[in-house]
Amino acid sequence: MTKRGPREITAKPQISWGSNIAVGQELPELVKHPTTRQLVQYAGAQGDFYEIHYDQAYAQGVGLPGVILHGLLKAAFLGQLVTDWLGDHGTLKAFEVSYRGVDMPAHPYRCRGRVTKVTGKDVELEVWGEDETGKRTTIGTAAVQLG
Amino acid sequence: MSTTASVVDRLRARIGVDGESVSAPVEAGHVRRFVQAIGDPNPRWQREVPPTFLVALAPVSAHLADAEAYGKGWLNGGNRFEYFAPVKIGDTITATGRVADVYEKSGSTGNLLFIIFETAYANQRGELVARLRGTMIRR
Repeated sequence: MTKRGPREITAKPQISWGSNIAVGQELPELVKHPTTRQLVQYAGAQGDFYEIHYDQAYAQGVGLPGVILHGLLKAAFLGQLVTDWLGDHGTLKAFEVSYRGVDMPAHPYRCRGRVTKVTGKDVELEVWGEDETGKRTTIGTAAVQLG
Repeated sequence: MSTTASVVDRLRARIGVDGESVSAPVEAGHVRRFVQAIGDPNPRWQREVPPTFLVALAPVSAHLADAEAYGKGWLNGGNRFEYFAPVKIGDTITATGRVADVYEKSGSTGNLLFIIFETAYANQRGELVARLRGTMIRR
């Protein structure tokens, strides 16, 4: 673990709230640095004590490469991607994620998103989480209402 | 196999039937531990809860424990949240879950059991604040 800890690094915003939201615009990306310690913290905070998230021997016993991130922790990361971008400019109306692959602690997790549809004040987004090879291990959508 | 067949039958018999509701207060300390765990320092979460917090208030479905006789492990397939009103610190939320669908699929490493669950969350005024639909997989 670096001295900085599992803090996120947020890139500069690609969307300026002073101009119109348009299809294709990307959200400022959010890179997370999950640690095993964070998985234990999350297990306690959510109340999900499934051993695959903190017990290496158990995880390997069920065929995993080692302990893996909770799907819902990755969903929380993607939720932060959207709410960091949205700020006070609107309300999150719907948020959907589909888990397509496992992610391990000590590997960066990159959260990204872009605008896919704009209908008046209703904006739809595509969001996804990438592992360090660029593979999209979580994909999803979000719907926000501006104003 | 009779064991796994009876698990599937038992879960299928509950499709569409609401499980027992669970009520829980949204406590400041719990929300603080949750946002520390996800690493989201947004000051907004000192008043209301972040998008996925509701899963920490109550088990997403009381029926899932009954599926554990099937296969040897869980996979989370996905989650869909719909939001109707903000959930604030100090609210009391009542979660009511049900099984929406149950089906088996044969995969490359054996059979999989898919359980689609739905949970409705209402606040202390009886207002529906959010809905969650999820897919849990036994393998």
